Amino acid sequence: MIIDMHMHPVLLDVINDTDEKLFFRKQQFGVFKSSKMPLRFALTLMDDAGVDKTVILGEDYSADSAMPLVSNDEIRTVMDAAPGRYIGFAGADPRKEDAPQELKRAFEELGLFGLHLNLSRTRLNVEDERVQALFQICSECEKPVILHAGYSWKPDTPSRYAEPILFEDAFINFPGVRFCLTHMGWPWWEETIMLLMKYPNVYADTATVYMDSPTKWFKQLFSVSMDIDWLQNSFADKVMYGSNMPRWRQVRSMKGLKDLPLRKDVLDAVLGQNAERFLGKEAVSGR
Amino acid sequence: MDVKLFEKHLESSKEFELIVISDEVRNAVAESGIKNGICIVITQHTTTGIIVNEGLPCVEKDIEIMLERLVPQDYPYVHTHMLPSYGTCAGNSPGHLKSLIAGNHCIFPVIDGKLVLGHAQDIYFAEFDGLLRRRYYIEVMGE
Repeated sequence: MIIDMHMHPVLLDVINDTDEKLFFRKQQFGVFKSSKMPLRFALTLMDDAGVDKTVILGEDYSADSAMPLVSNDEIRTVMDAAPGRYIGFAGADPRKEDAPQELKRAFEELGLFGLHLNLSRTRLNVEDERVQALFQICSECEKPVILHAGYSWKPDTPSRYAEPILFEDAFINFPGVRFCLTHMGWPWWEETIMLLMKYPNVYADTATVYMDSPTKWFKQLFSVSMDIDWLQNSFADKVMYGSNMPRWRQVRSMKGLKDLPLRKDVLDAVLGQNAERFLGKEAVSGR
Repeated sequence: MDVKLFEKHLESSKEFELIVISDEVRNAVAESGIKNGICIVITQHTTTGIIVNEGLPCVEKDIEIMLERLVPQDYPYVHTHMLPSYGTCAGNSPGHLKSLIAGNHCIFPVIDGKLVLGHAQDIYFAEFDGLLRRRYYIEVMGE
């Protein structure tokens, strides 16, 4: 099974029933010239890339914006429109008083499978008690957390809130919660791989192509900046394919990974098996 | 002189795809009511083309192979970086360059209300950056 761990569903037609919503999302997410994407076409792109399931990320920064970037109800709408193809992660704005209740609702009523947070966008330190409260809920509900790490293309996102090493205490304090550091934490990839090796509950995704073609980028990252055997022999069970749709099409980002001189067992792990373990059986088999 | 413009949509299903649109163009000419003049088929995009060739799979494959040889997928292109104005990455330089080779339009005569095509000719919408939703125009001008 191939799983894409990183898609922002901001352009999908099923959640953009007005031009105003689409405009809001394009401005907030920073995909200024992109068009609305029919869900049917998004599924065609998945099929073309051979992706079985895609994780879609809810995002809520509504403490300082008109509405969530993608609400939890909208994540559920996308999942229901394509049963079995999307795995929904909830958003929650820690700055809002009702964030804990909203997160519990997303898990218990909407059936979402984890929490996605971008602390650069909320300008909160990870040790903020409002953030810790959300981690506590994830711990109690046995849900994983996808944490934005490193460079964000989204406007208004200072990077200093997303340096991977800053999250280390959370990994220690919530050993039962699986955390995914997005974008390999780039440019702090050395911190990321240290955390991957040190903590069993820490994973990372490959939604990290910031320059060049995916083939050149992944070659530079995994076989020049690193030795390719670091990935193959030291954290092959921790890196998960993520496309960063709609910034990169799935088929192209995946080609960059497939062009690496990886053993088949490592490529299979990166493209799906690690994500199956990170997400858990319920998410992978659920609808 | 009358001018009739038709806007057409399609979805490509492959990164490289030659999609025959001859019938769409013939139908537009018939619908235009124009008896004598010219018909221009124009793509709206910068990673597609409008081309004419013989509608045989072997010819289509040779076109694909020739373009891939001239413009390979893997090459140190300049147009490979994040575009802040788009918010997406530029990963489609081969499509832009193949589009340059193919050209963005073709022109045909219209005589006695019909599109004039050679017996071996088909009109293609050429996709070089699929899969995408695409748009092209058929403009018929004459009397």
